[in-house]
Amino acid sequence: MTVVPLFELRGISKNFPGVKALDDVSFEIRAGEVHMLVGENGAGKSTLMKVLCGAYRADRGSFFYNGKPVTINDSSAARKFGIAVIFQDFTLVPYLNIAQNIFLGREFSGRLPGLIDRRRIHTEAKRVLDMIGFDIDPRIPVHGLGVAQQQMVEIAKALSQDARILVMDEPTASLSDRETELLFAMIARLKENGVAIIYISHRLSEVFTLGDRITVLRDGRKIASLLPAETTPDQLVTLMVGRPVDTTYTRPSRPTPGEVALEVKYLSGPAGFSDINLTVRAGEIVGLSGLVGSGRTEVARAIFGADRVTAGEIRLFGERIGGSAEDSARRGMALIPENRKTQGLALTRSVGDNIVLAGLRKLFPAGFFIPSRAMKAARTIIEKLRIATPTPRRPVATLSGGNQQKVVIGKWLNADARFYIFDEPTRGIDVGAKAEIFRLLDGLVHNGAAILMISSEQIEIVHICDRAYVMRSGRIVGELSHHELTEANIVRLGIHQ
Amino acid sequence: MSTRRLSLVSVSIARVPGVAIVLVALCAVFGLTSPGFATPANIANILTQSTILLLLALPMTVIIMTEGLDLSIGALLTFASIVLAVTVVTTGSPALAFLAALAVGFCFGLGNGVLIAVFDIPPFITTLGTLGIAQGLSLVVTDGQSVVGIPRSIENIYSGTAAGIPLPIIIAALAYAVTHMLLYHTRFGTYVFALGGNREALKVAGISVRGMLIRVYVFGGLMAGFAALLMTARLNSAHPTAGIGMEFDAIAAVAVGGTSFERGNGWLLGTLLGVIAVGVLRNGLNLLAVPSSAQVACIGALVIIALFIDGLRAER
Repeated sequence: MTVVPLFELRGISKNFPGVKALDDVSFEIRAGEVHMLVGENGAGKSTLMKVLCGAYRADRGSFFYNGKPVTINDSSAARKFGIAVIFQDFTLVPYLNIAQNIFLGREFSGRLPGLIDRRRIHTEAKRVLDMIGFDIDPRIPVHGLGVAQQQMVEIAKALSQDARILVMDEPTASLSDRETELLFAMIARLKENGVAIIYISHRLSEVFTLGDRITVLRDGRKIASLLPAETTPDQLVTLMVGRPVDTTYTRPSRPTPGEVALEVKYLSGPAGFSDINLTVRAGEIVGLSGLVGSGRTEVARAIFGADRVTAGEIRLFGERIGGSAEDSARRGMALIPENRKTQGLALTRSVGDNIVLAGLRKLFPAGFFIPSRAMKAARTIIEKLRIATPTPRRPVATLSGGNQQKVVIGKWLNADARFYIFDEPTRGIDVGAKAEIFRLLDGLVHNGAAILMISSEQIEIVHICDRAYVMRSGRIVGELSHHELTEANIVRLGIHQ
Repeated sequence: MSTRRLSLVSVSIARVPGVAIVLVALCAVFGLTSPGFATPANIANILTQSTILLLLALPMTVIIMTEGLDLSIGALLTFASIVLAVTVVTTGSPALAFLAALAVGFCFGLGNGVLIAVFDIPPFITTLGTLGIAQGLSLVVTDGQSVVGIPRSIENIYSGTAAGIPLPIIIAALAYAVTHMLLYHTRFGTYVFALGGNREALKVAGISVRGMLIRVYVFGGLMAGFAALLMTARLNSAHPTAGIGMEFDAIAAVAVGGTSFERGNGWLLGTLLGVIAVGVLRNGLNLLAVPSSAQVACIGALVIIALFIDGLRAER
């Protein structure tokens, strides 16, 4: 079978000072297929896509469009071949409406010189939205839309520019299950219309359900191109990391649980949870499971003192707390939030600055900041957690997701926390880094800390936690002991009958 | 039935922006306390006196929507007015004088725009600097004295009427209409929303962010030059301190009108209402013989109250 690919990259190499980002990578995409691009963070996926869309120029390599050699020097050249990227950070303007966003920079001229034809923009936008089956009034301003809807607008924007090759970079990272279904339905529709989709994902389940083909990158090289039917998740992970990794991370033996670290009784709050009872002992990792929106994050924030509560009590190591996050932090509680970029890190500051942030009081009791002492403390943590950064002075924004997450954790290690709440600690990080994060969590409890861990991936809860609570609609609907802890039980409790 | 109607009323009140509530409240208070307030002559007076402020507040809205600021607009108004007066007194040509004022506005606007867009100097710093330059030049050129001898033809622009409507109101209405068309019906206006909301989106769409930013500040400069014509006509002279503090009134009117300083969330009609609210407040306080220094404090309070009301609504 010889199918001429819609677009082909051959022998692409790209060097950055000191790094071989891409080494002789070839990649092809056919009309009407979903081509999964997988690999660990730093494997070269993003670089390859930036070469494809003209944001980077390859050092070596050639491009073929419908079998004919072409050149891509900038983003407008890529657009000419119908290549469009659905960015992770959206390129939408909040106070323009959907239609204006779709045609931003390509407004139709009106009858009078200098004016634009708003009506035509709206009708054309409606046409594009209908095409992808997104039923919404194009006059609605974008700032009121949810993440999934904004993503649909992004896709409509790309299609309105006659995109025939769509690059999606982890499109489901911030979507709920329902929104994910909608996206998948739309992808199916796009396929029928002959659109080619390059889909970058860290979620193995997506790779197998959605992908027509899979390409694996590792350390800037193409490792394999295969069909989903030819491989298994375990084999794929092995290809990605280059060594056999047990995806079903097995929990090492844990110490016998010690004193009660956290005790929450009848906690209710305005954020929509009520009568929450839970305990976490020293040396334990306790899961807090349930669907997105069941109130897990709200409960975690209330326990930490970041949000108000209306009833109930919280005891940390026997002492009643409540009130402020500052008080909780001083008493040894740490919250590692869900969204590390907006809640956990000062992105523009250095790795070192971020690490010492939570431990300032302890490190500098006199109130004066001593840079050399801060550097030393930061270096210790960087070594301990094996954070991949050449120097503590590097801005945190330049690190990969997994390493950023380690910085957030390191920040609290430095503050000598004894009770940790992890909210989705593995979101958006690759398989190898996940295993490292889990090892870290394990190390913490072995040293006598207690952990409450929130995760949407039941498999993680099952494999990491000693016990788990399951939430539904703002209430705890069940507790699963070690031997009851299975994915099926979590799902059964978490979903309405 | 009656409760249902009540709830309908409360729902619609919740949607009314803070500036409208503030404006109605101000009119009610002054209408009750000073008998001279609610007369047709006084209302025409308020509107006429608000025109210069509107000419400054319109571009200020656009500038603030780009997450920028123009502190120099009051000093620029002064300097353009002085250049206009000096030109007309020395050459005798009102048209040439008006062009000179526009040229001054254009040059300062371009300077602001280039410093902000090309050299990446924050708008606050840039326009604080040009405020000083324009104010200093005004004092240097006039030696601190008023420029008098303005011809009748210029004075008529402020005091004259057409079809019974004061000329300044017609000019201000035109300026509002032009700015409205510019903001809501041109590419430039669309990109203003993007400059404040998401500059990356503009870059991706292949639009020059720098070029658009420069245009925004040039628009501000030109409008200040235009306003200088009205102010010179109103005072029948030019004075080196005449426009001091006008940037405060303009920024206040924009803020009262509900334009946000973030994410390109602006509302031109709100600015119009904000300008009228500031005008009503000044006029009412004048009628109550409140000294002008205390009026500034009242405008400050007005800003806080209007934003407080908007904040309450946003929390729901």
